[in-house]
Amino acid sequence: MFRRNTRRGNYAYTVTRVKAKKSQLIKEEEYNKMLLMSLPEISRYMSESGYQKEMSELAGRMSGIDLVEYASYLNMSRVFTSILKASEGELYTMVSAYLEKWNIWNVKMILRGKSFGLDEKSIREDLVPAGSLKEAHLDKLLSLSTVEEILTEYSRMDSVNIPSDLIAAYMGTSGGLAVIEDYLDKFKYARLLQAIVPNSRPTLMFQDYVRREIDLVNFSTIMKLKAEGICGEANVMEYIVPGGKQIDRRTAAQLANIESVSAVSSEISQMDFYEAVKPLLDAPAVSIRAIESALRKYEMERAKKFSHMNPLSVAPVIDYMIHKETEVSNILAIARGVQSGLDIDVIKGLLVI
Amino acid sequence: MVLEGDIGAGLIAIGAGIAVGLAGLGSGMAEKDIGAAAVGAITEDASLFGRAMIYMVLPETIVIFGLVIAILAIFVM
Repeated sequence: MFRRNTRRGNYAYTVTRVKAKKSQLIKEEEYNKMLLMSLPEISRYMSESGYQKEMSELAGRMSGIDLVEYASYLNMSRVFTSILKASEGELYTMVSAYLEKWNIWNVKMILRGKSFGLDEKSIREDLVPAGSLKEAHLDKLLSLSTVEEILTEYSRMDSVNIPSDLIAAYMGTSGGLAVIEDYLDKFKYARLLQAIVPNSRPTLMFQDYVRREIDLVNFSTIMKLKAEGICGEANVMEYIVPGGKQIDRRTAAQLANIESVSAVSSEISQMDFYEAVKPLLDAPAVSIRAIESALRKYEMERAKKFSHMNPLSVAPVIDYMIHKETEVSNILAIARGVQSGLDIDVIKGLLVI
Repeated sequence: MVLEGDIGAGLIAIGAGIAVGLAGLGSGMAEKDIGAAAVGAITEDASLFGRAMIYMVLPETIVIFGLVIAILAIFVM
């Protein structure tokens, strides 16, 4: 009766920490201020906000956009690692499984960087060591030169079984990483779903959440392919991530067989994200970027609702992580946009607020 | 009669003990999560200590109710 159940997880402690962190995220009006700043002003603004520690650590070695990029990614990985350290029991298992996606992100960044011939320093700026692969592991991967070596080492480090025919397929193509990246993306969700053992209400809820996230990823993939003129089950199904809640293989095949983007509307009318994309699908010119942005906003809203409905669960933690990730991508969009001299309205269109 | 009186006093004492004990147990259970949350909030923002402390001791009032019942049982009954 009095034994403390450590397997259950310390939801009260971790959720309060996460909620306190969420209250410190950048608000909409602050983004509006940042849009009017120059790059040095954005750097200074970040030095005075939650990125203070990282900005002062890196200011001696870097400047400009490199500093903003590296500091924001470093801050994000530190924050995520601190949340993981604070959690216990099944909460720890769920958070660590969710953070594994950053391993895939890092490997993809290293592969892309290496295939474009970038130096180690430039690739390192885009890495987020929030998953189980820490900086030492990533440095080792960075020190390797060929894609084949990186994949072999990564599969050993992260216990990933990368089929040898996939590497052979990559070697056979003209250097396109698409086949490997698609495999890694599918693997990311397959491993996440495998890591969740649905034996309690919180884990069942988390599984449901992840499966709905897969739906959004698959819908976005189908729409992107349609915009490129790629339709039909045979061409599309290889990119579909298995395990979706509303978009199973049969529904995905049905959606893939529809030829125009606008005709998708009736097919998805029963799905919970329909209202978010309906006005965009009904518009005369369908913009894939706008659909992507709407899906991202929908995901944030869903995470917020999920966290309000389940206050003492993994939901607020996931909600915070999504919001933090969006904050970093918004900062980078503003910084890159300002540096390239883009119009304020264009940059604002790229933000997810 | 003497025996009956002893049993009565004993039952009153047991009742008083249960009142304080269960009230303490209840408030302890309530404070478990509040305490964890309070420490989490203070870790992120030390200025919340005062407010967190107030929330933390609120369930202690339940013990006071238990104590009042115990005192009434012992001294009034």
